Amino acid sequence: MALLRYESQVRAPLIEGTKTYHQVTEDICRPVEARPTRLWWMGFSFSVLLLCFGILSVTMEVIYGVGQWNLNKTVGWGWDITNFVWWIGIGHAGTLISAILLLFRQGWRTGVNRAAEAMTIFAVICAGQFPIWHMGRVWMGFFVLPYPNTRGPVWPNFNSALLWDVFAISTYFTVSLLFWYSGLLPDLASLRDRARLKWRKMFYGVAAFGWSGSTKHWQRFEILALVLAGLSTPLVLSVHTIVSFDFATSVVPGWHTTIFPPYFVAGAIFSGFAMVQTLLVVTRKVLGLEEYITIEHIEVMNKIIILTGSIVGIAYLTELFVAWYSANPYENFAFLQNRVNINSPYGWSYYIMMGCNVLSPQIFWIRKMRRNLVLTFFMSILVNIGMWFERFVIIVTSVYREYLPSAWSTYYRPTVWEVGFYLGTVGLFFTCYFLFAKFFPVVAAAEIKHLLKKSSDGFKHKMGELESESMEAFVERHGHDHGA
Amino acid sequence: MTTLKEQFVIPKRYNTWSMALMGVGILCLIILFITHGAKSDQREQARFWASLLQNSVYFLLMTNAVMFFICATTLAWGGFQISFRRVSEAISTAVPVIGVISVIIMLVLVFGNNHIIYQWADPNQVKASHVLQTKSPFLNKGFFTVWTLVIVSLWWLIGAKVRNLSRSIDDKSLTVEQGKNFTWTNTVWAAIYLVVFALSVMSTIPWLWLMSIDAHWYSTMYSWYTWVSTFVPGCALIAIFIIYLKNQGYLELTNEEHLHDLGKFMFAFSIFWTYLWFSQYMLIWYSNQPEETTYFIDRLGSRQNPSPYKGIFFLNLVINFVAPILILMKRGSKRHYATMTFMCVLLIFGHWLDFFQMVFPAVMKDPVTGQTHVPFMLFDFGIGLGFVGLIMFLTGRSLSKYPMIIRHHPFIKESIIHHT
Repeated sequence: MALLRYESQVRAPLIEGTKTYHQVTEDICRPVEARPTRLWWMGFSFSVLLLCFGILSVTMEVIYGVGQWNLNKTVGWGWDITNFVWWIGIGHAGTLISAILLLFRQGWRTGVNRAAEAMTIFAVICAGQFPIWHMGRVWMGFFVLPYPNTRGPVWPNFNSALLWDVFAISTYFTVSLLFWYSGLLPDLASLRDRARLKWRKMFYGVAAFGWSGSTKHWQRFEILALVLAGLSTPLVLSVHTIVSFDFATSVVPGWHTTIFPPYFVAGAIFSGFAMVQTLLVVTRKVLGLEEYITIEHIEVMNKIIILTGSIVGIAYLTELFVAWYSANPYENFAFLQNRVNINSPYGWSYYIMMGCNVLSPQIFWIRKMRRNLVLTFFMSILVNIGMWFERFVIIVTSVYREYLPSAWSTYYRPTVWEVGFYLGTVGLFFTCYFLFAKFFPVVAAAEIKHLLKKSSDGFKHKMGELESESMEAFVERHGHDHGA
Repeated sequence: MTTLKEQFVIPKRYNTWSMALMGVGILCLIILFITHGAKSDQREQARFWASLLQNSVYFLLMTNAVMFFICATTLAWGGFQISFRRVSEAISTAVPVIGVISVIIMLVLVFGNNHIIYQWADPNQVKASHVLQTKSPFLNKGFFTVWTLVIVSLWWLIGAKVRNLSRSIDDKSLTVEQGKNFTWTNTVWAAIYLVVFALSVMSTIPWLWLMSIDAHWYSTMYSWYTWVSTFVPGCALIAIFIIYLKNQGYLELTNEEHLHDLGKFMFAFSIFWTYLWFSQYMLIWYSNQPEETTYFIDRLGSRQNPSPYKGIFFLNLVINFVAPILILMKRGSKRHYATMTFMCVLLIFGHWLDFFQMVFPAVMKDPVTGQTHVPFMLFDFGIGLGFVGLIMFLTGRSLSKYPMIIRHHPFIKESIIHHT
């Protein structure tokens, strides 16, 4: 018997219960085919309501201009840029899971990749709203596109990190979308083949791009996944790197620090995983997918949260230390007065950031805590808040008291239309997620089926006898095919 | 029945080579001492000590990065590394020895009379500089000594613990339950090591040992950059030992699949190194603030007055970025012994060169004109070869002492049936 894969009994199975292929299809397609529940309608309506408020807020801004947001002083941008960076950060876990973890052959990604990728795409859509509406005269938006024109000197400034953002985010969005959608094809075809209603047959038929499940299709599917993984791996890093450049290329104290790029990326993955936890802890329960998104999955993601949280912590402390070490009075002021000094006007925000992002995730050192769903959910919210405050700290505490004391402005509050815009993006995000959870399988059924023969309860059971076999006998029986 | 060659017998030629390389190192050390170290001019002496500092710290951090590799993959429950784990363990036994050498060199620099390298250790220079005075709670002899000793001892002790844990199952087979406990204990120690690593290599240690050579300059990226610059050659070191042992007929359970994975690490982290290099350089170039640009001006100069380090500066990028991205991207090259050997040697040299340009420009700088100059590098390279010989010797000794296969490890069978 040529063994293609072996998994130690020491590892917990990634799919619980002895499943057949058919059961997997049933379990995962059931929520898509059933009528939406009351809970779904309630959540969806609320999201749409928020979205409508957002549309109203944006309309006000488009008609009356950015003055609606009190943007008559630099720090007035605090709220808006914070929200933008917050969303773009959240949009990082999906592609990390789908691409980097695919390259690292992490089997556990299979249970969570679909939902995480969808979340990524929605978060990037939300983030994308900010630069668009921040333009003020949004109908001039095409000015960012570099093409021969008659506008004379009005030409994209290629030296500006803000323009790099436009390219980075749109590339990231395109590749993430391709990755997500191409992964969906086999599952959409299953839904098409199972559909009884005409519109469902039509809808999933068109969406499945004529997937027939032939060997050729699968072969191309696998190659495409690898190519896209290779392409998106640098993209996971590039997007938040460039967002960090928005700040770090400046000479603003607290912004100009060389560790920003990798530290922003770690923070983005951190916040992205927190959002994945927020969504999945609920989704797996509501849709009854606990056997596919197991406690094991939740625990692994909590490990990533403590890891990335601690990396971010090291970066915070490095910044703080070097601000002092540099002996630069401006850096010192930005860090020691505007941030660390709790009695300064925004000092409190620094402690919220430290508390939520660095200290509280340390609870995940304890295994029991990593496997506690209620705590996981609570922590994921806390991290989302903490990461929002990280951007708030960076933006507001650096610019409200910059070089020129005459330009200092400690009073800062977002207007109702600014808040409305933000709530609107939250509405947009959840509207998309609810639609996704209703019309698409939230777990990649086809990929789960691959995993059945690698890491399911049934497979483990079959492999049990090999575990106690002596190494020589094992090598004798199975090793020769593998160059041993 | 398959029989595996579990016991490494050090071939005669291996010993000859390691002794010869160490001999070359000592010879170069003596030559460099006579030509520079023994001179009365402080700048000449510093040139000698800079070579020792660069080489010892580079090879210490590199072998320590091998322990980092072990602990990171252990923490992530990576099964693939078990078939060659003894090789990584053997390399990491060099940490205490090179650690002691490095500590001695650094303490001589701190407590000796020559303060060209560590300006902050000179009370007169500190008195004259406001910046150095501000930094003195961190950059002072006491803290430097204590922290260096604490950290090197912790690397030593935790590394030894991790190795002992792996050896503890050499003659007893484990049940599934025992296997779980064993994996758990390993995970805990790997985590402890990584915490220490984060507080040392990822933050304080490069600031103290290396960044303080340019005592007025600072960059938050510096430590992470230093870490990657040692992790890539660390992986290369594991790969090159594997290839050697395979060619000698050992490590039957390790094959091109495992090598491929190591190649991926080398490739990925070479790109990551470039990413950090670019981020640090670009941000300093872009904002163009004199207190930060000095570092790169020493290495690049201006258009009118280019620095003699310019060639090394760009060669660094060619070797450590262009070569891996062109050569290691292909699947085949990561599975090909000769290509991998070539890349391993190239990357170990490439990052040695990186360390060279991190250490030397500030030391070889004319205090009056500010002009830097490049020393004749051949003897520095020779000292580097001495360390290579030392690592070969220590690795070989450790390999020959313990079985090369951890036969009872819960993940060994995963490592045998491994497809990348």
